[in-house]
Amino acid sequence: MNPTKIVSVLKRMKRNFVATPYLHLAATGTIGLCLLITGCFIILYTNLNDLIEVWQQDIRIVAYIKDGVSDRQRTLLAQTISKLNGVKEVSYTSKDEALTQLRQQMKHRSSLLDGLHTNPLPASFTIDLVESQKNRVNVTLLSRKINEFPEINDVEYAKAWLHRFSGFISFFRLASLVVGLVVFATTVFICSNTIGLTLYAQRDELDIMRLVGATDSFIKAPFYIQNLIQGLLGSLLAITLLFAVYNIFIAKIEAYGALMATWEVRFLSLTEVYELLLIGVVIAWLGSYISLKQFLKS
Amino acid sequence: MLEQVTRFNESGKRHIIEVFHVYKNYGPRPTLFDINLTVLENEFLFIAGPSGAGKTTFLRLLFRDEQVTQGHILVKGINLQRIPRRKIPLLRRDIGVVFQDFRLIDHYTVYENIALVLEAAGHQARYIPKRVHQVLRMVGLEKTLHAYPARLSGGEQQRIAVARAAVGKPLILLADEPTGNLDADASDMVFDLFAQLHKLGTTIIVATHDKLLLSKVRARIVSLDQGHMEIKNHL
Repeated sequence: MNPTKIVSVLKRMKRNFVATPYLHLAATGTIGLCLLITGCFIILYTNLNDLIEVWQQDIRIVAYIKDGVSDRQRTLLAQTISKLNGVKEVSYTSKDEALTQLRQQMKHRSSLLDGLHTNPLPASFTIDLVESQKNRVNVTLLSRKINEFPEINDVEYAKAWLHRFSGFISFFRLASLVVGLVVFATTVFICSNTIGLTLYAQRDELDIMRLVGATDSFIKAPFYIQNLIQGLLGSLLAITLLFAVYNIFIAKIEAYGALMATWEVRFLSLTEVYELLLIGVVIAWLGSYISLKQFLKS
Repeated sequence: MLEQVTRFNESGKRHIIEVFHVYKNYGPRPTLFDINLTVLENEFLFIAGPSGAGKTTFLRLLFRDEQVTQGHILVKGINLQRIPRRKIPLLRRDIGVVFQDFRLIDHYTVYENIALVLEAAGHQARYIPKRVHQVLRMVGLEKTLHAYPARLSGGEQQRIAVARAAVGKPLILLADEPTGNLDADASDMVFDLFAQLHKLGTTIIVATHDKLLLSKVRARIVSLDQGHMEIKNHL
């Protein structure tokens, strides 16, 4: 495009903004609102993922040893388990240590244990896993393997909780994807209709342009540029609102000190902010593309 | 590349428009029947006929605002049925059009209305104001440069529309009932402009139902009635 056309396109773009300011505000607001929803999902999703990671760090397998296993057998078993794939560390808790720990946990009610003639608690191995293996499938497989040793009486690893949590995460990921796509498609649809209204308001002018020999690209250019600006402004609006809501939310949950000590609710990363800006621009571009194509065809 | 066929008459004048067996239907009822016509370069042609005869439709076919149902139209030797969509703007830069209702853009000044044609064609920034002033001088409305069309009289608006049609130095100027909304004086002024452009080499085609106008300029007349064309003065 030569300089004359560029100047003309910019002039027409300015005129369009002045001629239909409310339609442009509506388009910007629509993009902003939809990106606000998308941004909320991104924040929720990334923070839940962080929370999962925090919880996953606590995943351990406890293997209870049968009574009567000798020290030598126990040492050999500990060595064998520590060599299994995914095992980071194996620590031993004797029957006496288990009872002491129980007394400490029961605090003032520990006197209940005084009546015991024998120690009913089993000795155990606490098996810590390498980070990459701390998922439902690997923990289940490893637990089965350990349970097969004849010296082991039982294995425990918060099975039900892990299954439920994995199911929830899979559902949340799928729901995020579906909701994200629906929000995206809806925004493009609303955006193209809003742009369509702008085009309809200027149809006489656009018809005259076509009659005097203006090319489609000359006619379309100001709409594309103005809609890209709307996309960017809408994204910035959404990010600003998200940041404000995030700060209010953080202030509200500060009271939950214990939770915040292990898990910090974080805002969008710089990359995610760029992605949100890009989504806004893509929505605006697609909206323009669809409505202009329909308009110029007619 | 577009296939371009250039034909000349016996006296060496180029056939600028050729219409071969053209039919145009809107729905089941045909608007134009078997139209055949040749227009020479720098000819002044009237298409006469009552309202609803198909004059506007015929003109719209010539600048490819509509497509024929059957037949062929060649403008500058280019077959309009085979012209790709992206090439239509280039064709239209060779054809200026004047409408009965002026069709100026209300929120553009007179200057902007006229300059738009040159901007769309990608002319150099230095050339545009010079050329706009030139055509405004020609139509006698230099002082209205920054006025908006609504501030001007009907006659002035139509002269601006003629200026817009002429600013790109088109080979052909089509006018659809250009004096339909004007008084006698304003009509005369518009026709003087057509005559001037004709002298400069432009081919002029005017569609009108006003029989009085036909006597104002020495020109060939073809009549159109209920979609049938009758050529009164043969080439």
